[in-house]
Amino acid sequence: MKKTPQGVIYAAKVAKYLFLIFFTLIAVGPILWAGISSFKTYAEINSSALSWPSSFRLDNYRAAFQYAPIARYFLNSVIIVGISVLVTVVLVAMCAYIISRFRFTLKTLIVLLISASLMLPAQAISQPLFAIFQKLHIFDTKAGLIIVYSAMGIPMSFFVMVSYYKTISTALEESAYIDGASFLQTFLCIILPLAKPGLVTIALLQFINTWNEFYFALMLTSGDSARTVPIALNYYMGTFANNYSALFAAVVMTVLPTILLFVILQKQVVESLTAGAVKG
Amino acid sequence: MKIKNKGLWITLFTAPCMLLFALVYAAPIVTVAYTSLCNYTTFSSPEFAGLKNFVTIFGDEGFLVSIKNTLLWVVLQSTFHVTLGLAMALVLRRKPKGWKIVRTAYMIPNIVPTAATGVMFTLLLNPSFGVVRPLWEKLGMDMGQVPNLFGNSRYAFWTVTLTWILYSGFNTIIFLAEMGAVDQEIYEAARVDGAKPWQVDRYITLPLMKNIFGTCVTLASVAMVSQFDIIYMTTKGGPGSSTLNLPIYLYKAATLENNYGKANAVGVVQIVIGISLVLLIQRLFMTKAGEEDGR
Amino acid sequence: MKKKTGNRFLGLTLSGLMVLGLTACGNSAGGDNGTADQPAKEETAAQGTETSSDEKIVLDVINYHVGTDYAAEYYAYLFEAFQQTEEGKNVEFHFEEIPTTDAFNQKIKLLISSGDLPDIVFNGGNNITELAAKSGKVADLTPYFDADPDWEALFDETSLEFNMVDGKIYGVPVSKEISYIYYNKDLFAQAGIEAPEVAYADWNAFFEACDKLKAAGITPLGMDTADSGWLTNLWMSALIGTNGEAGNQWMNSMYPTEFNTPEVVAAAETVQRMFQEYTTADAVGGKYDPMATHFFNGEVAMFPNGPWMIPDFSETEKAPEGFYDKVGIMLMPGKGMEMVPTPGDMVGASEEEKIKAAVDFLKFETKPENQIKALEMTGLQPVSNGLEIPETLIESDPLMAQVLEIQDQAEVTYGQNQAYWYQNTIDTFSTELPELAYGNITPEEFCNKLSESAKKNQE
Repeated sequence: MKKTPQGVIYAAKVAKYLFLIFFTLIAVGPILWAGISSFKTYAEINSSALSWPSSFRLDNYRAAFQYAPIARYFLNSVIIVGISVLVTVVLVAMCAYIISRFRFTLKTLIVLLISASLMLPAQAISQPLFAIFQKLHIFDTKAGLIIVYSAMGIPMSFFVMVSYYKTISTALEESAYIDGASFLQTFLCIILPLAKPGLVTIALLQFINTWNEFYFALMLTSGDSARTVPIALNYYMGTFANNYSALFAAVVMTVLPTILLFVILQKQVVESLTAGAVKG
Repeated sequence: MKIKNKGLWITLFTAPCMLLFALVYAAPIVTVAYTSLCNYTTFSSPEFAGLKNFVTIFGDEGFLVSIKNTLLWVVLQSTFHVTLGLAMALVLRRKPKGWKIVRTAYMIPNIVPTAATGVMFTLLLNPSFGVVRPLWEKLGMDMGQVPNLFGNSRYAFWTVTLTWILYSGFNTIIFLAEMGAVDQEIYEAARVDGAKPWQVDRYITLPLMKNIFGTCVTLASVAMVSQFDIIYMTTKGGPGSSTLNLPIYLYKAATLENNYGKANAVGVVQIVIGISLVLLIQRLFMTKAGEEDGR
Repeated sequence: MKKKTGNRFLGLTLSGLMVLGLTACGNSAGGDNGTADQPAKEETAAQGTETSSDEKIVLDVINYHVGTDYAAEYYAYLFEAFQQTEEGKNVEFHFEEIPTTDAFNQKIKLLISSGDLPDIVFNGGNNITELAAKSGKVADLTPYFDADPDWEALFDETSLEFNMVDGKIYGVPVSKEISYIYYNKDLFAQAGIEAPEVAYADWNAFFEACDKLKAAGITPLGMDTADSGWLTNLWMSALIGTNGEAGNQWMNSMYPTEFNTPEVVAAAETVQRMFQEYTTADAVGGKYDPMATHFFNGEVAMFPNGPWMIPDFSETEKAPEGFYDKVGIMLMPGKGMEMVPTPGDMVGASEEEKIKAAVDFLKFETKPENQIKALEMTGLQPVSNGLEIPETLIESDPLMAQVLEIQDQAEVTYGQNQAYWYQNTIDTFSTELPELAYGNITPEEFCNKLSESAKKNQE
């Protein structure tokens, strides 16, 4: 094989880092800007996007707490999103495995139903759901939102997981069955450990998708006990009385811990990435 | 190879998922489908009216525009956006310097609440005091013509697109996980054979990504068919109907015209488009691995 | 691989392994599991005791005057003060807070169609009164007005009529909405022009002044298009409402569906010109707040709005120190003023006892002294005419005093689109304005679009 000239390698390297730097900048830029803007006054934020705040005072952070029960809503978000992630991952881990491995009568129907629900407009679902939830006495409870979010997460996680399971060679299972392992043993001891990166991925995706959900959180709750961060943000957005600075302060305060959580979760992905080497 | 009680396991493993699913979606699917055929408003109960709502929407120019925009966004998202996520994953896979920072940073836009993202972009792109004006000045352009990116229908569609199309961290995560699942021995063997990095990517990694690429395209398309929040926060479908898509059209029918029947008819169209896309994409991408031995 | 499978994990249960397999989320979420149910249970228990108590009447209220809302403080005061009164001492409120009228209206509509309206239904506009009344889920308040002539006497006919559906009163109006022009005295002086005492005689004189301002390098007008295009709506309503008998009548009628009248088209034409010549670059697509900030910062000379903006002039967070003193007030050209009754608060309760308690609250809310209190705290104009304005207010807030005075000099009054138009038509107005501003559509086409959209409501 011919050797690639040094110049090309060098150019490729530069291009690669430019690519990385560009996307890091456009990803981090807006939130950094929001962080800076969280120190601005109403006048500053509405008259210049590029100036520095006149002083780094904490008034807006105080206002953020004063206008909305942000801490409580944040805790609610963590609980609701956390449990819904868990529920979705467990249920999808099982269901997607079956779909990826077996052929059976209702399979096509299941796949179609799941696809259909991906597109169901929230406005259309909210009304029947509202009625059902009141009958089941889970209206305005964390449990209610957990149920909706878990169900909402199923379609997407399902597609990712089915695809992931398909990458796992069936040879392993076959040899397990030949060794006399039961279905459950095979699933738990062979498949699940191998599927861990996939599972962590859908956990992340489910987290992202539900963390910012607004509409159901509004429609299916009526009190502070089950409301989440996106609703808290609305407290700063009165039509003729925005307080964008407080909004950004609240965003900074809720996004930072989320990023932390994310870093921890991603560590899991890395570990599973290296663990992937065992597979096969 | 035989599995004991196969039917039982299939039921046991799919039932919980389907039950939860039914609890949340069963009634709504039926309601949407039925009431799309009804006269049904905020203040009156559904009354059967045949295909009237469908005739109404398909006769409305705004609706046809919203289908066009929706499909355009589907195409953009499932090509450029997903490929971008893949490219990022390919770069990050080799763990270049600072890759951990990039990986986390690239996810951040996905965690920032949409409401805040909307406000940020409207302020940043404000033609009087945002970033556009100084840039325009640097370029030596006519200062009377600073582009009003959200306000002018000439740019609005692309500006709105720009608020999400570059942020593909979601796909990067999916691809990274899938790449991690690739057997390292293959890479080892390729290295031993002296394959160059791009050759490894081209001939080993990419072909293995076909399935998951299909999944990402599916998810991206579906997300675009139901894209709502950020459009609502920035342009509400305007100016004119330049950023109108199906969910915004539906939202307006339901909450501004109070016409639930019409809104649900739009919902049915949305579902049909979505399912067709899912089926089409699956046909294009999905190999039926694991199923082929017909267990 | 094979060896492992046989024995290592054999003893583990399904659930155990599932959680283990998911260490990532299992750790954080699993720990919260216990606490998740706890508060929810407490909540239901608390609700249980509330309803079973027979001494207290519990009224459900959904309140959107929360967070940064301009009237949040006033309503907090009002609820508490009511419970100190004879009628209110047995009343307990059970609040649901929904910040922003947008979210509030969405939820109220859901509750209208599901029949779960709160006992007191605040009115966030958007034709809610008609929807609620038609659905039959709010109480007819006519008998309560009939039974209390003193109370009824607080409202003029237009205000009550505005809250009637099919001849029955469903809403109790709590204020009046008016708007006119604020101008920056300094900028007028800078351009060497003098503002009229009450109003420019006609629009020609008004635009002459605009030209002079422009010649002096000052942007004459504040305009917007986003949300509902509030400012532009106020200009346009004025243009129509002051344009002769026909225009005034049109601008005073509810739910118009024909926008292709000479007056509306002429107004659209003028609005188009205003966008192109007299306003800021960010007006198109712009929201209210940056536009208001332009006015506070002395970047635009004239700004249409209502008295609720006055408190902002002296708030240093928003406007520079001393700005309050720079602001002058005039009516729209031709001594026009927008004046609409507000859509009133409704009663969603169905039990006799609760309806009475809710009505008592609404009576309290409209008591003359509370109307004055609202005026002082929020700038909301009293719905009742001829209320005694306390000296202290006139001294502490001369602009507000001027507002109260200048109202009486208005020769023509008219409505505005947020109060009178169909909701989807307001939205069309807001999304098509940029097209009009950039000349992508003609004024006639603009009006056609409005007509089309309004007619959708009658399909």
